[in-house]
Amino acid sequence: MLWLSDWWAAYQSTLAFSMVNAFFALSSYAVMATGILSFATVAFAAAGGFLGVQLLAVFGVPVWLALPAAALAGCVASVAVSLIFLRLESHWLALASLALILITRILVLNSPALTGGVNGLSVPVEAPLWLLALLLAGTALVFWRLSSSWYGIAACAVREDPAVASSLGIAPKRVQLVAFAISGGVGGLGGVLLAMVLQFISPETYYINIAFTMIAAVVLGGSYHWAGAIVGALVFTALPVLMQALVPAVQDVANGLALLVIMIVLPRGLVDPRAWRARQAAK
Amino acid sequence: MQLLLEQVVNGCAIGSLYGLFAIGFGLVFATLGILNAAHGTYASFAAIAGYYAATSAGLPFIASTSVGVAAGAALAVMVDQVAFQPLRHRKAGMIGALITSIAFWMILDRLAGLATGEQSLSFPAGTYPGGTWMVGSLPLPQMQVVAIVSLIVVAAGVHWLIAHSRLGAAMRAVGWNEAAAQIAGVNPRLVILATAALAGATSALAGVLAGISTNNVSASLGEGMLLKGFAAVVVGGYEDVRGAAIAGLGLGIAEVLSAQYISTSMRDAITYALLLGFLVLRPRGLFGRVSFVRA
Amino acid sequence: MARRLVWLMASAMALGTTAQAAVPPGEYLVGFITDSTGPLAAAGVSYTRGAELAAAEVTASNAIATGAKLSLEIKEAGGDAARSIQNMNQFIANRRILATTCCILSGIVNSLKPVVAGKIPLVVYGATAPGLPAPPWVYSVTALPGPSDTATAALVANAMKPKTVAYFVSADNDAFKARMAAAEKAVTETGAKTVATISVLGTDTDFTAPATQAMGANPDAIMIYTTQTPCAGIIAALRARGYKGMIVGNDVLAPAAIWKKIGAPLVGVPFPLSFSPEVNQTAEATAFSAAYEKAYGGPPDLYSAQGYAAIWLIAQAMHGMDGTPTREGLAEALSKQTAVTHNVYGGQAITGGQAAATGLTVVNWTAEGKLVKWSPPK
Repeated sequence: MLWLSDWWAAYQSTLAFSMVNAFFALSSYAVMATGILSFATVAFAAAGGFLGVQLLAVFGVPVWLALPAAALAGCVASVAVSLIFLRLESHWLALASLALILITRILVLNSPALTGGVNGLSVPVEAPLWLLALLLAGTALVFWRLSSSWYGIAACAVREDPAVASSLGIAPKRVQLVAFAISGGVGGLGGVLLAMVLQFISPETYYINIAFTMIAAVVLGGSYHWAGAIVGALVFTALPVLMQALVPAVQDVANGLALLVIMIVLPRGLVDPRAWRARQAAK
Repeated sequence: MQLLLEQVVNGCAIGSLYGLFAIGFGLVFATLGILNAAHGTYASFAAIAGYYAATSAGLPFIASTSVGVAAGAALAVMVDQVAFQPLRHRKAGMIGALITSIAFWMILDRLAGLATGEQSLSFPAGTYPGGTWMVGSLPLPQMQVVAIVSLIVVAAGVHWLIAHSRLGAAMRAVGWNEAAAQIAGVNPRLVILATAALAGATSALAGVLAGISTNNVSASLGEGMLLKGFAAVVVGGYEDVRGAAIAGLGLGIAEVLSAQYISTSMRDAITYALLLGFLVLRPRGLFGRVSFVRA
Repeated sequence: MARRLVWLMASAMALGTTAQAAVPPGEYLVGFITDSTGPLAAAGVSYTRGAELAAAEVTASNAIATGAKLSLEIKEAGGDAARSIQNMNQFIANRRILATTCCILSGIVNSLKPVVAGKIPLVVYGATAPGLPAPPWVYSVTALPGPSDTATAALVANAMKPKTVAYFVSADNDAFKARMAAAEKAVTETGAKTVATISVLGTDTDFTAPATQAMGANPDAIMIYTTQTPCAGIIAALRARGYKGMIVGNDVLAPAAIWKKIGAPLVGVPFPLSFSPEVNQTAEATAFSAAYEKAYGGPPDLYSAQGYAAIWLIAQAMHGMDGTPTREGLAEALSKQTAVTHNVYGGQAITGGQAAATGLTVVNWTAEGKLVKWSPPK
């Protein structure tokens, strides 16, 4: 059994990062489910991360209080941002959300009193795996319940065709505002959890790489079902580790190729409810 | 006053590179509907190809630049055919192509690192016009003039091509509705190839010129251009190359002047905040029209 | 070659005489987290090559014990904190790995410190923020550049008596921000006035506008505390725009690759040097340079020297151990080292887990592309 415990020791942090990335992926799935491509999750994660770490490190707030506070911070940030962003059309919104990430980084660098500035902040509390798993399960439960609620159906309608949705009495902007609020909450929570896994955060922590990781995770996993975000995050985090073990010399190229092949073969992602339905219908 | 003038010239020169890059980036976005994360690597590879053409083959400036531009165009066509073509028939939409472009970004970024031996290279003196003209007391580096002239020529040329040529009409038709264009007798495959090549070539030119004037031929070149070119497309709008060109210039000038007169450490925050503010006031860019909803 | 052989034998003998019961023969692994891709790749490759060379020398010279082979297990992290942590956990889980080395970025060291504490020794080869070492588990072989920067700035300021000084600083790099602040303080004490402080970012590439801005403040001297690409770019831009005043650089200008890239504008720019094959001429240094040149077809730079030192420090600590070495034992052995005995600097003391530089060497590039000791121009 020694090899099992060694294997576990070697890859437990990969599992931890997969779960943290799952929060980011769920956060961007929340808005993508209403037809919005947004990278703003990174900014919500920064809001949750820095606030959460300040609470933990400076004010000695217990974890159970710091986590909801971080989620709330992400939520407030997302609602504020969405008031501006929802006035934009889809493509412009995607572009604007990238600009938001760049602005966030500069603001983080230039407000050392709040964020530690360029020196970063040490995080005194580690996030144990069971806590990550528990929170992820809880969040997944919420997404599951939402998917079959009135909101979930409305979101689906807004994504498929906003014009039809409004004629059915659904206000697309209001649904998208709720989506942003959910995205912000989950993103803020993910932000503080990332901080607790890294145990040190700096302006580099919440930057472009997370944005592309999470979008790639959602689409890879399948952007038509909440479980896709979780599966995608797991695969996208584990893939580099696998490639490093298999082909260390060309691991980044191999990563890219794997991603390319998966997307070309399964353009709707690994988890695809439509394919399930088709299979059921065929029976 | 002298300083202001010098900085405006500097801003125009940087802005010209942003604008050039943005024209290519915007073309892909408008005609092919793809948010292409790999676009920056075209600029990197063009600069690398131009560098080796200038150093190993000893080609003069115009020739080495042409090699870079051709390399960028070829790369753009290759990426389009491998990463985007298979998705076109499967209706994977903008997001599927975004992911395959991220995949290519990862691959090409790594290959660019290998091609430069992980170093940041620079074009040796003498392989490009490196002198400085003096207009009165105003220094005017030749490369800055080359950048600004390139932007004007390319923007005017591409604008004419799109607005007045048959190819341009076909490109607009494909951008609006591929199926309808096909019914009207346009061969979309050919138009897509032409668009990809043109977009690659334009951004490649930006890459070569930036590689020369900033002494930085490396994988990181394209990433910087990508973010700024992106911003220029946001402000300028992707439906009109004049918008991207003017926005690129404006972005360069705003960046330089906010560093000079407000704060160097807040420079990027100021430029991007201006950009967001602009978006809210004019959500469809400089030359944007009222939209028609596409299902 | 003959010289190298003599030296190898001598060092093996010198080490051999102090050993009583040595570690048993066999292969010992060091986990090496490299940043050979991504934004730090240029330096990352150098660190790794220096370390590989050291491991080969340690093995060839039986520096740990007769028949004790030292090998590197290299994992790529691309300058990313999450990847570094995952790599480190894989190293910790691999029972054959005795010690680890890593990191160019201080933030990543800070993330790894809680991971390695109590588990495996970590020798930092690149990051330069103060306060990183935490014996017995975490050590740094890279001398803090701050004191040399400050001393260089003061030396130049005292020699040239500039009345006005402008500074460039990497706003997104904690180490450089601290280095600039300390240098500015020392320069201000000589009576010079700060007329401009210009922030640049690590990803910036165009420096014409910042150079124009600095020159607009009309300073007698310009001092640059930024990472490599900006530093080189700023100097090129300043000279291209006709700046004639004094420019002070920092140690990122030392690699030969930078001379090849920028050339003439660098001539006469003083900067503090930790290692260069031309200036460091001790027996160890020349042997290292020759072996490196032979293995990789180019001269070593300050980064390869640091990677080299990290592995030699581990080997040196292992040499003093007896019986089958454990991680705890190695950590304890490392905490007893007061110097890196095999080094290319002509002396490298360790206090509180942090290696320090011996003396101060301020150099500049000449028009012929040679590094020489700097002296104030007449």
